[in-house]
Amino acid sequence: MLIKILGTGCAKCQRLEQLTREVVAETGIDASFEHVRDMKEIMVYPITTTPALVIDEEVVVFGRMPSKDEIVGWLKPA
Amino acid sequence: MDFLILALQGGAASLAAYLAAHVLLCLVPAFFIAGALSALVPQASITRYLGPDAPRWVAYPAAAGAGSLLAVCSCTVQPLFAGIYGKGAGLGPAITFLFFAPAANILALSYTGVALGAEIAIARIVLALSFGIGIGMIMAMIFRRSEAARRGDARAFAGDGRVPPRTLLFLGTLVALLIAGTLKVDLLTATLWQHSMAWPEAASAQALLDRWVPANEATGAEGISLQGVALIALLAAIGAVAWRGLGLIDNGVNRLTVPALVLTVLTLAFAALGLRATEAGLDVTVSGRTLAVPLLCAALLPQVRRFEAWDMQQWLWETWRFVKMIFPLLVVGVFLIGVIRVFIQPEWIRAVAGSNTVAANLAGVVFGVFMYFPTLVEVPIAKMFLSLGMHPGPLIAYLMADPELSLQSILITAAIIGKLKAWTYVALVALFSTLAGLAYGAWVDGTPASTLILVVGGFVAALVVALNFIENRRSSC
Repeated sequence: MLIKILGTGCAKCQRLEQLTREVVAETGIDASFEHVRDMKEIMVYPITTTPALVIDEEVVVFGRMPSKDEIVGWLKPA
Repeated sequence: MDFLILALQGGAASLAAYLAAHVLLCLVPAFFIAGALSALVPQASITRYLGPDAPRWVAYPAAAGAGSLLAVCSCTVQPLFAGIYGKGAGLGPAITFLFFAPAANILALSYTGVALGAEIAIARIVLALSFGIGIGMIMAMIFRRSEAARRGDARAFAGDGRVPPRTLLFLGTLVALLIAGTLKVDLLTATLWQHSMAWPEAASAQALLDRWVPANEATGAEGISLQGVALIALLAAIGAVAWRGLGLIDNGVNRLTVPALVLTVLTLAFAALGLRATEAGLDVTVSGRTLAVPLLCAALLPQVRRFEAWDMQQWLWETWRFVKMIFPLLVVGVFLIGVIRVFIQPEWIRAVAGSNTVAANLAGVVFGVFMYFPTLVEVPIAKMFLSLGMHPGPLIAYLMADPELSLQSILITAAIIGKLKAWTYVALVALFSTLAGLAYGAWVDGTPASTLILVVGGFVAALVVALNFIENRRSSC
């Protein structure tokens, strides 16, 4: 699966990437990462505020920091 | 050589006075509030009122609210502005947000109130709010045709954005703590209990401090008290403990977290105590403030238990992030201002901006636009100008223009909304800042508020009619 982190390089965005990477490592899910920093590319997604987490082109959260448990829930296929 | 010592002494004096007098009861709670706003309030709770379909009377106040609640420094303002504008909020609310955010966030306001007085802080928020909304509406009107072409994306503004009651209560308690620590009302400042401690060395210790950091009423240098020295030491201790205690909190509560928080509460309580050196010893004064500050800190404790541990970790982590980001800039800024002040002659300031004239207000605005100061540093600079004899009118003009307009933010804004709109915005802000300064200055000089409201309102109405006329003429030919 493809995980994108949308953020302009703010502290929160770095933190979100770090958290998500930790979750991926812990659960052993096969995923590739992309940190989107370009404002124009970010604005393609329906979000108003960064940071945002996009999993397989689906925005799962933006504008706040999710907890690890939440990220696990999004990553595991229902 | 003497000159150099004088300059360094000036810097040290302004830094010491700043740390001892302004930071504690105002900025420490303000940092915690900023952290809580950032960590506990979902941004969607406000941006959902900004969607393309939102009615005007909801969107403009929401934009102003977003400005003061979500954005603490200009570095957060630009991405949020791009987000709000890019996703179809009207140009008007987006501009209101851009204008209001840097001037009216919790850190800027509380610091302005403590350093420059509540009157200037209130003038700052009222003028920024009314002119922010005014400029937003004028922008929306001028550019309404090009705006209609832009397609909104309502999805971006959807989402569950409710703020839970426990968060509101928590924020309320923190704000009460800030107010209890800074507001100068009888209830808080009246002496409840006083005791003189015998300590013969107190007077000589104070005399030594006065020699190192001389107080000077004429230039506004405040000097430093024995209590101030103790507070600076406590602040340094908090910094040392919090570096790991709060900086690494996202990995879980560590053994330095609790000491860091306890030390913070103790420091606040100590700062709220009145201590004064006399000939015979130390006068200890307990006032309403001394009781209110520890009580409100204690009231936070049971509330913390109602949050999930993760939320609280986020809160402390965000708080510490703000401190790390803003505090060093402030320390360096305040020191440099102290150095510069030694070289500036009060006569220069009085000659340029000593009275409330159009030229003086314009000078304030121009200085604000071309000097770029990091977040909050505009406040000590304003304080320096005030103590050097600047009239409050031009001071407000400067305070309105400095955070909103700098060459850097003009360029970024131009990249987001286009050159024509950005420069129109700049012109409007310069115009309105001058107007704000003139109005506030006239009010300070004794002109009744009702007359001013009439004059300013009439001017804005005339401006709106004129712009409308130009726009109609342009479209008809």
